[in-house]
Amino acid sequence: MKHSAHIAPGRIEAYWLHRLFDMVVLWIYAKLFGLMLALFLCFPKQQRMSHNNGIAATGKLRIVDHPEFPENEFFTPGREFPVRIRHASATFLDDAMNCIRSLSIKLSDHHFKSPFDIEMNTGETSLFWSAVSFLKFARLRGEKYGIEYRDYNRRYPDGLKGSQTAGRRHASSFHNLHYYCKTPFLFIGTDGIKRYAKYRVIPADNEPETGIDPDPSEWDQCNQRILKHETRGRNYLKYEYEDRVWREGARYRFQVQTHPASDNEDPEVFNNMVVWDEDAHPWLDLGIMEIDHILDWRESTLTTFSVNNMPRALGVIPATSIFDYNSLNYMRAHSEIARKARILSYKVWGMVPPIPDNDNRNVSDWGQ
Amino acid sequence: MKAKTVKDAKPARDGDPRDEKSIRAIIDQCKKDTRIEYRYGDGFFTPKMRGINYLELGRSKIINSPITIFIEWLYLKWRHLRDFVKRLEHAFFPRHEKIWCKHIDSHLVGRTIYEGDRGDGPPIHHLHLEFWGRTWLGSWRKLSEGKSDNDGYFRLPYDLRAARRLWIRRLYFEVHTTTRVYFHEKKPRFHFDLWLRREIAKSNLIGMDYNLRTIRLDFWRYREDAYTPRAKVNAAGDEPEHYSQGRIDALMSQVIPIELTKIKHLDQIELEPGTLTIPQIQADYPMNLTTCIEKHLPGYTRGDDWFGERMMNGMNRGTFQKDPKREGHYWIHYFGKCWYDHNEVYALPDVDIRFSLKENGLPKPEEIVLTGCLSSHEHDIWKKRSFAPKDEPNWTYAKRVARVNGAFNTEVEEHFAGTHLNTEQFAVACFRNLKLSPIAALLMPHMKEVSLIDHAADKTLIGGYIAAATALTKTGLEQRTRDIMGFQDWKGWHPMKKLSEAHTCARAEQLFWDIVTEYVDTFIEAWADLIKEHWFEVYCFSEDLVNHAVPVAFSAPQDAPPKGKRWKTLADRRFEYYCQQYCFDPTLDRPVVDGETKAISRVTAAKSFKDAAPEDWQNLKDACAYAVMMATYMHTWINEHQYDDLGEILYSCGGLRFGEKPEGIMAPEDDYDIAPDLVRSTQMLWFTNLLSRTEYGFITRNEEGDVNPLFSDLLKKKRDDFANLGVDVDAIESRTNI
Repeated sequence: MKHSAHIAPGRIEAYWLHRLFDMVVLWIYAKLFGLMLALFLCFPKQQRMSHNNGIAATGKLRIVDHPEFPENEFFTPGREFPVRIRHASATFLDDAMNCIRSLSIKLSDHHFKSPFDIEMNTGETSLFWSAVSFLKFARLRGEKYGIEYRDYNRRYPDGLKGSQTAGRRHASSFHNLHYYCKTPFLFIGTDGIKRYAKYRVIPADNEPETGIDPDPSEWDQCNQRILKHETRGRNYLKYEYEDRVWREGARYRFQVQTHPASDNEDPEVFNNMVVWDEDAHPWLDLGIMEIDHILDWRESTLTTFSVNNMPRALGVIPATSIFDYNSLNYMRAHSEIARKARILSYKVWGMVPPIPDNDNRNVSDWGQ
Repeated sequence: MKAKTVKDAKPARDGDPRDEKSIRAIIDQCKKDTRIEYRYGDGFFTPKMRGINYLELGRSKIINSPITIFIEWLYLKWRHLRDFVKRLEHAFFPRHEKIWCKHIDSHLVGRTIYEGDRGDGPPIHHLHLEFWGRTWLGSWRKLSEGKSDNDGYFRLPYDLRAARRLWIRRLYFEVHTTTRVYFHEKKPRFHFDLWLRREIAKSNLIGMDYNLRTIRLDFWRYREDAYTPRAKVNAAGDEPEHYSQGRIDALMSQVIPIELTKIKHLDQIELEPGTLTIPQIQADYPMNLTTCIEKHLPGYTRGDDWFGERMMNGMNRGTFQKDPKREGHYWIHYFGKCWYDHNEVYALPDVDIRFSLKENGLPKPEEIVLTGCLSSHEHDIWKKRSFAPKDEPNWTYAKRVARVNGAFNTEVEEHFAGTHLNTEQFAVACFRNLKLSPIAALLMPHMKEVSLIDHAADKTLIGGYIAAATALTKTGLEQRTRDIMGFQDWKGWHPMKKLSEAHTCARAEQLFWDIVTEYVDTFIEAWADLIKEHWFEVYCFSEDLVNHAVPVAFSAPQDAPPKGKRWKTLADRRFEYYCQQYCFDPTLDRPVVDGETKAISRVTAAKSFKDAAPEDWQNLKDACAYAVMMATYMHTWINEHQYDDLGEILYSCGGLRFGEKPEGIMAPEDDYDIAPDLVRSTQMLWFTNLLSRTEYGFITRNEEGDVNPLFSDLLKKKRDDFANLGVDVDAIESRTNI
């Protein structure tokens, strides 16, 4: 983003007018999007935007004793947090399909309130990178019988690459997948220095990741359907996770990488399609997360996450337009109405039923 | 430009008209009198023609009604107004070179390939691509430009915010092609024309890459149904290239008088066939060299001296093969029907002419051998008959048969195949592949428009006049020209070697070749760095040339002569003769593609210059010089002398009919049963006038500024040398477009 100091004198008014206009547009986009979600999806259909198929669990997070990351008021050494997590598969109600998998974390044991929430998905890069690209992504979904985003993949090769890196098929467990938040957040340390941070979660025992397609196809990436002669059921991953937690618990390593902010920041730093170089931005252990209790379907469905549940020093980076890479989190932050609409719908219409173990495969809507 | 239409010859000079000096003076005077000159000018209310593509063997679409001409005048005024509005639009809404980009954060990506009849064609490299936005007020803003890479992929960077500004109404992705080059301050400047414009919805641009996918271009494709490498030309005849306006204007203004003459004859033949004769048809067309000479020296053009002189220095530019048995004797061979598909109306025997050289260095015919049927009563295609000067009147008849066969061979083989089709294969490879390389500037001015004229020739000549006026059918002509193409190779080509100082044709050819090689050498050395940098284009040019070339003559199974000892002997004789005629070396190592040994040699097998073989640099020079030579001088020679040697119906024509008499074609000129019929007669003179009188695009005149001034200057320096050999340098065409 250009700073006013770099703009020729005499054009500053025009620049600020542009900025104001951009921010107004962004606000309208975000608010309108949230409202549309609430009115047409969350309340009537009782759905989240994408990750309806999930399983929640609780445990604790202990921050490392000797942190290598910058000192911070929130993540103090040795501090423990109660934790509620939710693993999910995006879009479809069938674990055996080729889906993006997620891990969302609340540092509390409440389904709504929390001092810190973070949502992460598999794959180091995303499928979209700004508000405008996300809306295009939503518009071009065109889902039918388990095939979606065909036109989006054809037009936007970066989105296609994101889909190829994020999709997981036949993963053996939610536990061994690597989850990334992809978009950067603020990280202001106790030293007052402004930084940006990205987070990820990996298995604590470095178990190899499963479910990665070694040779994804450009043409067939839109086909997320189960394979022919599929033997895994619609809930196989959730059952595996439930058994694992009851049997031995699930341990994760919560990590962070930081980037010092600068005045002439290259906008690409905020681009969640651009992976920060690990040599310059090594992944540092934030804490160990231990999960020991599975929540039931009702509690899992009620559990919701929000980027607004973050300390100011660790929160969302401001965005200035719908093209801004930080506009994704801006839109997330302005979607409270959608979350609340969904919770309200459970009170009005009742809880949605669990996903049945039947032979109705490749579906994405409740009741199918 | 209108050509001079001289119908009356100047009186003979003083002195005995039969001594050599006087004869030479008469001939030179007749050459001056019948030389075609070009001047500009046009008049309103004169008949007009719609365009080159409206030329017909029958009645071309000509307008001669005053009312129609007036309406056409109004239409032309409307077109001028429309063009004026377009120019105004360009003036008010110019397209500046400035690129509107503050921060590159997005790209247009994709790939350009040739449209293929079955699936995808090969990639198109180095296409010039532009990305434009147009504002609500009509202004153009260039957002990006670039080129496709060697594999046809492109990645145009642009500023997303600049493209999505509110005041940008529409966005366009444009593909431009190099259509011509012109020289300004001695440097080549490429001119791009828009080939494809595709609108991009603003809402589709969301940052990062936007994939335009694979863009298939119907661009300089090879015809799938052709028997030689040919460009696919659209039905309107204006793609993949179009004639320059000057070329169209020149042809339109020059062809009208002869077109009206032809229409008059055709109408008369249709309505009152008995009222028109061949001499009357002849008299209605402009006088040619032989009719002019006959006026002063009756019978001279039927004599041995003229026969020998024209075989050596006329349109035929005969190839003299040494007689292995007689020292100082030479043979010219004109092959007849051979094994090609033919009709039973016209005769076309094999003609073998033996010459000795006179003291003045000109050839003297000693013997003419005719092999084949000479009448409709004969059926032995191998029957040989030999004639000598003592065998009058059959000697005179045999000379006529030789002239006719020679004219047929020259037109079909040397002219159409050897220059037109030969140049076209270089032209297609050139326009498909040469875009950034300076070789494009070297070749393009000489390669343009040939695909269009060949396309017109398919209909009017190969499938039209020649098939109706000679012994071969369309199928036979196609096969024959394909076989001749099987002898066309740049490697090892050299001009004809002179037999004597009187062999002015060979001397002029050598002189022009020296100029071409000097020009090409100088140009290539001057631009060596850039040529080497873009060697990939030279490689692709060579690959297209080779991959689409015909196989070496008679080598592919579908081109093989019929089985049998006599056919094989004939094929071997032809092969040996054509190898000399076209300087084709059969011992060279030739590329093999899909099991076929190709006639054309590779220029290079290396994609980059650092991998090129040492001889590739000279190969490039030789190939370019050859292409320029064929397109310019070799075509001009035949084209310019056509009317001299084919402008008198009874003197020579495309074919003699068998007729009904037992003597067949061995008959006097006043036997009209064997001469071309009336329709073919007027068509023949129409054609030869059309091809000779409507030329446009000369090296020294450089009407469109696209001929390198160096080439022109080198030619002008040798003006006197050429003039001494009877060649006007100002009449040498810069390309084959007629």
